[in-house]
Amino acid sequence: MLQLQSFNLSVEKTLSELINNESPKSFDRIISDFDNTLFHISTPESKTQILLSIYLKCFDDLVRYGDINSYLANIYSNYNILDTPEPGYNFSIYLDLVQFKQNFSIDQQYEFISKISFLKRNCLAAPFEKAINKYNELSLDFTKRQASLQEKHSIFKDITQSQRDDADSAEILVINYRNDESIYIKPSFDRVTVIFSTIFKDETDKIFGKVFLQEFVDARRRSVQNSPQVLYSHIEPPLELRSLPEFLDLKSSISSSNKYEKGFVTFVLFPRHLTSQKRDNTISQIQLFRTYFHYHIKCSKAFMHSRMRSRVLEYLKLLNRAKPDFEEGSKKVERKTASGRRFEIRN
Amino acid sequence: MASIATPAVVMDNGTGLTKLGFAGNDAPSFVFPTAIATNSNFSGKPSAPLNRPRRSGPSGSGASAINSNLSNNNVALKRGMEDLDFYIGDEALEACNGPNYSLSYPIKHGQIENWDHMERFWENSIFKYLRCEPEDHYFLLTEPPLNPPENRENTAEIMFESFNCAGLYIAVQAVLALAASWTSSKVQNRVLTGTVIDSGDGVTHVIPVAEGYVIGSAIKNIPIAGRDITLFIQQMLRERGEADSSLRTAEQIKQNYCYVCPDIVKEFRKFDNDSQKFSQYIVENQNKTQKKIVDIGYEKFLAPEIFFNPEIASSDFLIPLPTVVDQAIQSSPIDVRKGLYKNIVLSGGSTMFKDFGRRLQRDIRDIVKQRIEASERLSNAKSTGVEVQVISHRRQRNAVWFGGSLMAQTSEFKAYCHTKQDYDEFGPNIVRNFSLFSVP
Repeated sequence: MLQLQSFNLSVEKTLSELINNESPKSFDRIISDFDNTLFHISTPESKTQILLSIYLKCFDDLVRYGDINSYLANIYSNYNILDTPEPGYNFSIYLDLVQFKQNFSIDQQYEFISKISFLKRNCLAAPFEKAINKYNELSLDFTKRQASLQEKHSIFKDITQSQRDDADSAEILVINYRNDESIYIKPSFDRVTVIFSTIFKDETDKIFGKVFLQEFVDARRRSVQNSPQVLYSHIEPPLELRSLPEFLDLKSSISSSNKYEKGFVTFVLFPRHLTSQKRDNTISQIQLFRTYFHYHIKCSKAFMHSRMRSRVLEYLKLLNRAKPDFEEGSKKVERKTASGRRFEIRN
Repeated sequence: MASIATPAVVMDNGTGLTKLGFAGNDAPSFVFPTAIATNSNFSGKPSAPLNRPRRSGPSGSGASAINSNLSNNNVALKRGMEDLDFYIGDEALEACNGPNYSLSYPIKHGQIENWDHMERFWENSIFKYLRCEPEDHYFLLTEPPLNPPENRENTAEIMFESFNCAGLYIAVQAVLALAASWTSSKVQNRVLTGTVIDSGDGVTHVIPVAEGYVIGSAIKNIPIAGRDITLFIQQMLRERGEADSSLRTAEQIKQNYCYVCPDIVKEFRKFDNDSQKFSQYIVENQNKTQKKIVDIGYEKFLAPEIFFNPEIASSDFLIPLPTVVDQAIQSSPIDVRKGLYKNIVLSGGSTMFKDFGRRLQRDIRDIVKQRIEASERLSNAKSTGVEVQVISHRRQRNAVWFGGSLMAQTSEFKAYCHTKQDYDEFGPNIVRNFSLFSVP
């Protein structure tokens, strides 16, 4: 498995079992997803009434930056979204099995299941969508202004610069999706910059991580020209983030991030990644970056381990071959200690 | 509450089936075969097959073997991502039908044999199926009784070094099965003393546990389990010449129709007098176009009977299950025997037959009663009596997993785990000891 999937297999399986089950039964189950996400599927009142809730650590950020409630309401408009989600969770969908089976065809039922299994992806997609929309706005604005400028034959360079500054002032969306780790998204008129702050708790991981990130940086130079540009900076936050309050005081922020040796991975998404056809895929891929990254660090460790094991096995074989085999009785073997003393065999 | 902490992950890797899920749930999220299908062009040990021809050459000295091995490993490094090209569980069974994959079962007789495969099996279970970042979760794994401590250390090495999991607890399956029985209404006080009868697909174990510790010397194995029952049913179907006698049909019959009767002779008579007793099972092919009707006769009660009268199915193992249980308890220390008789717990799919527990309880009670009567006759003293109780409960099928889920959802669970910090500080041998759960 090279790529992690965006949907949650367990949610999909559980829901389709619940829906296809002939005799409904009372049910209560939690399912987790990456980055401290929790699903809760239960039948709180009666056996045919399913309540599905999701908890995301960064939901407040998503509300602030992604306008997530209306975004989700748009996607799941056909289904019954609860106005007040289950306590402890952020978003709940309510499902009456009897009605559901009456109103929806088999295909629509499957559509529902697959849509729900993408729930976490869709939640996290909201701010990205917003950022890309902002980018579209800005770039449209930019081309308009550029066109009008060219008509006027004015000094092109200076004013573009000022516009550039103007465009750069677009708000940075900060999503604190894990403890101490965040995603920063910054739309601009010709690109969308996505920055991940990462920390490694383990020393070995840190080294693997550096190698991997260097590969990411180099990959574009070597063969994959179409990939987004990746930059990696260690400890020092990239320039895009300097305007954020937490990084304003550069020295103190460096010393505080130094504690964990925070790194910053910057992805620059260019217009070709943001076209309406590619947009969904880009969002799905990039929001899984951190998990993908850690998954592959773990996979390569596992691979190293399997090689170590096979090496040890080889060495053991060698050692076993080095054992002298004494032929019994044929020759009397004289034994010495390390210092050269002999054993005398007394009769 | 959900928002406070991530749920612990409970993984029960058995010889046949793996159960995966989160603590606090009443059933595992995934149950699939402990099988892994790897790309056969790249086996777990890249050097083994390639080295052989070179070594047979005249310069078969040690140094050249190392060199060839080195170059092989370098090649393995450059070959790319074959180590990610594998499937586990049901997908593995599917994939191995194709040309490129070969299937293997990393666990044999309950113990992990192939660590390379197991590591990758876990990798996929965690990231693909459970979708959790192991750094955020505590893990509860299970092990068979009498698992060597080295295996525990290997497990800990993988869990902590490859996956950086936050914390780890390795529990003995039998103890978890005892804990799972606490949900039964028959259990008044929650003790970790009892006899566990664990019957899966391959082997049936009788494991006495005293105060949370397995009495290793008293464990008994019976080579009769689920597969033998299925085969027995299949054989009966074949002998009668039924329309369909596939293994699948036999399994369906076993799961849906079989039960344990109190007395075979009476049951035979009942069947002969009352034709209503016989049933029919309808086999449909995939497209539901054809129907085959299979009659079900005596195998309904005869198949599970092989636990109690093994001679009807096998010729080499002849001791009935109740006798084996009695022997296991009798070879345990004398001061725990009463507790062991009082709390006989069933676990595993092959103990799910209707009235299995009741019949077992009656038979063991008979054995015990005879012994007591004999000793009373000899000593002329009145015995205080021995209580025999077999406990069956609703979670029997995945009892081990369920017990793990119960344990891991308690608030004290994390305190009993060894954490990543502990591991980094003390090394793998800390997992040789886990303190037992105090009984809540």
